[in-house]
Amino acid sequence: MRRLTAAAAALLLTTVTAGNAFAASLGSAQIKYKINPTVRAQVIPNYASGFGPIGGLGSGSTPAVGAGAVLGGGTVDFGNVVVGYQYLYKYAAQVNVQTNDAAGFIVYGEGATDLNGSNPVPAPATFPLAQTLFWLISSGTNSPFSPAHTFNRTGGVPIAGGAGGIDYSGTGGSPPPLATIWSNATSGNVSQGYDYQLRLSGAIPASQFNVYIVYTVIGN
Amino acid sequence: MRRTNFAALLALGTVAGLAVFSQADALQTTKAFKEVVLTVVITPSPAPVGFFRQRPAPSAAKPAARPEIARLVADPYAGPARIASSGVAWDVAPGGVLIAQVPPVQASPVPVQFVAKPDPNSAFLRVIPHTGELDVPYGTTVFPCAFELFTFYTTRHQLTDWGYGTKTQNPPPPTYPIENWPAVSYLSWQVPDFATPLKAYNNAGSPGETTWTGNPGQSQQHCIDLTIVVPNSQAAGVYTAAIQYNLLVN
Repeated sequence: MRRLTAAAAALLLTTVTAGNAFAASLGSAQIKYKINPTVRAQVIPNYASGFGPIGGLGSGSTPAVGAGAVLGGGTVDFGNVVVGYQYLYKYAAQVNVQTNDAAGFIVYGEGATDLNGSNPVPAPATFPLAQTLFWLISSGTNSPFSPAHTFNRTGGVPIAGGAGGIDYSGTGGSPPPLATIWSNATSGNVSQGYDYQLRLSGAIPASQFNVYIVYTVIGN
Repeated sequence: MRRTNFAALLALGTVAGLAVFSQADALQTTKAFKEVVLTVVITPSPAPVGFFRQRPAPSAAKPAARPEIARLVADPYAGPARIASSGVAWDVAPGGVLIAQVPPVQASPVPVQFVAKPDPNSAFLRVIPHTGELDVPYGTTVFPCAFELFTFYTTRHQLTDWGYGTKTQNPPPPTYPIENWPAVSYLSWQVPDFATPLKAYNNAGSPGETTWTGNPGQSQQHCIDLTIVVPNSQAAGVYTAAIQYNLLVN
């Protein structure tokens, strides 16, 4: 017991001495470090209630959303539309971006392919996407005749037909400036909604058409 | 007897009058109508003269640059060598530059689908587009045969047009390029096959203007030449022109 008390006293003395030694050498160090910028993005189809097609003025039929569309997901499905008429699909897609990059980011949107026809397969099997499918920022005043920008077919390589995105490694690593749909100069968690327009010229054959729209986000 | 004859004559005249006027009214039956939607993109080059900044007066000339700046401009490589640093420590060590590049991110692609059904009106009225997008500089631009129109009907018929939504939307009123009456449309048309004079698109709504007429059983397809004027006051950007074509039949 006496030996234990002595050991404890020695330990206390050592600790106090060491503490005094540290106190004598207190100082400050400036540490500089960089946080790598990060960007994350999600796209939500049919992102708000009331989504779906309107228009077809003069066609004699009222458009109704197709079976592939569900709130917050699924397909932007215009359903049955009539050749030669124009349509607006409300709340087609919402792009959400999270970034800590104070310089912001750019969002690009492109078709992975042209419009692929099936059921029945037309000849030729594809129809140009450009000047057929358009995008515009969602607004309550949008109509099938509102000013809009066309989607173009990519110059990159579609992955799995577009379901897996687009490989831009052969085209400089990024989409062309013409594909820009949103340029934001701040960091944060931001989102923007888009409507789509379908302008069917008289030249498009009667068929079912599909395409993947790919959104690519790049930090500034 | 005389009174009876007079009444019969009056009734006959009334019937004849009704027949004549009802035939005219029958032309107002709309068999089909279609909207032609044109995307107009005003490019900012060449810049309109009005955008050039005025040259400052000589009295307002820029002050002379500081001597060392002027010397560096004259000879950027003159000594002594200058190296960016912060006191004793490098902000960025020579050769140690690291640029943090965010790799591109792709969200899940959005699948789009539609089923195109045949147009039941295409036998009577069709639009054949030739120009996808009208890219226009400031000034006047002509698009020969921007699109074609096809019409057919078994009786005498008439094709009319006006700017879609003109004089019916309040708010918002139609904007550039077709505008709204009494402003004159900046978009004009003519049918070269008929040597039609250049006409600004009607923007006063229905009944619009006559594009052409057709005889019973006559099929015809003609080019529409477009002329667009971009005034210097119009901002560069994307605009839409929507024209409604109506096939009126007996």
